[in-house]
Amino acid sequence: MDNLDYIDDYFNGANTSEQIKLFEQKIMSDPGFAEDVAFYTSATGTLKEQANELKKVRFKEIYLAQKVIPAKVIPIKGIWRYMAAASVVAAVIGLTLFFTAGKTSPKQLADAYITQNFATMQGISMGTKKDSLQNGLDLYNHGKLTEALVQFKSMVKNDSTDAVAKKYAGIICLRFENYDEALQYFSSLENDASLYINPGKFYKALTLMERNKTGDKDAAKVLLHDVVDKNLEGKDFAVGWLKKL
Amino acid sequence: MSIMAFEQLPNATDEDLIIHLQQGSHLKRKAEDTLFTRYVYFIKEGMHKYSLTEDEAFDAYSDTILYAIGSIADNIFEKKSSLKTYLYKIFCNKSVDLIRKKTTNKNSIHQTASITDMLLKIADTARTVVQQLIEKTDMDTLASRLKQLGDKCKQMLALYADGYTDKEIAAALDYKTADVIKTSRLRCIEKLRQAYNNNN
Repeated sequence: MDNLDYIDDYFNGANTSEQIKLFEQKIMSDPGFAEDVAFYTSATGTLKEQANELKKVRFKEIYLAQKVIPAKVIPIKGIWRYMAAASVVAAVIGLTLFFTAGKTSPKQLADAYITQNFATMQGISMGTKKDSLQNGLDLYNHGKLTEALVQFKSMVKNDSTDAVAKKYAGIICLRFENYDEALQYFSSLENDASLYINPGKFYKALTLMERNKTGDKDAAKVLLHDVVDKNLEGKDFAVGWLKKL
Repeated sequence: MSIMAFEQLPNATDEDLIIHLQQGSHLKRKAEDTLFTRYVYFIKEGMHKYSLTEDEAFDAYSDTILYAIGSIADNIFEKKSSLKTYLYKIFCNKSVDLIRKKTTNKNSIHQTASITDMLLKIADTARTVVQQLIEKTDMDTLASRLKQLGDKCKQMLALYADGYTDKEIAAALDYKTADVIKTSRLRCIEKLRQAYNNNN
């Protein structure tokens, strides 16, 4: 433990130049200490690698989301025609919203989210899981949802802590309108304290909104408030939805 | 829908983003996402300039952002150039690395980058000794033992690996002091080592 403390300080830049020199001399002269340094480096490096993989998954989701409706360049001389048309459309939408009191059904909001975000899925492979995860995503993206679900369920069976597989299994159950099973996967995800980016609660709210049975709307609102209050994954959508529900 | 609509902190300047990334506050993640979104058009440039596929250009760009997030947090980014120029230089280097590794059949450009970065902190001769010992480590077993740690350990180690300081972790997880986090975190590494050694 003393060695670990010493090593941790070294990698955090807490040592003076003299201490750094002594540290490096100790690596050369003390094989046990060198092994401690090697293990610390391997473990911390592996953890950093895993953290980066998670970020890459997040970045991929952002990248794909911003590609859903690509920005179109409109020639400047024709822009007034588009603006006039847009104004008319905006006026019609505005009047419609005014006369319908501005409320949207939970199912409409959930449908829009599912259509926009779950049409295709991309993931970044994580070490040894690379083949099975990528295989599941390929099946999903080719519309073979049943086969993809089998793949993700098998991954969860082999590793009950596999949060990525649980997430995708839950999404497919949601798309199959198998709401109870989707809720089970998302609850399990929500309770995974090891995740610091956890969409479990948000997806549970989404599932309840999509199911839209008696009491689901109120239960979803409670979850969405929690997502906002705790600044969880999906907060931006939750804020918008709470205004419309 | 414009790219800006996906930025979590659309009004933040690059300078604001740097501050959020260095402070490790609750805005850190949003700053990371905003930074990624702000210069995402580099991906298209990489596809044209270096003839990369979209996936390859995405990899090079996301590796660029990950590297920049790390160097900003560690105060290695000295602000000698603008953030955009700095990112573009890294992106070009990552793209060239990718091409080079493709031609030598080494597809992963990031596989052990974190370990390599840590090793670079050690002086040459001592580094060789540590490097040789790391090469003997069974990384699959290590990853598997990591999964078997308790939830608290996993959470603490994941936050630390993500660049949060012990003080920030203490605040996030409701611990009294940074020292308690440090001690607990190092105990977790010790547990990991015992689990690793028991199975090797």
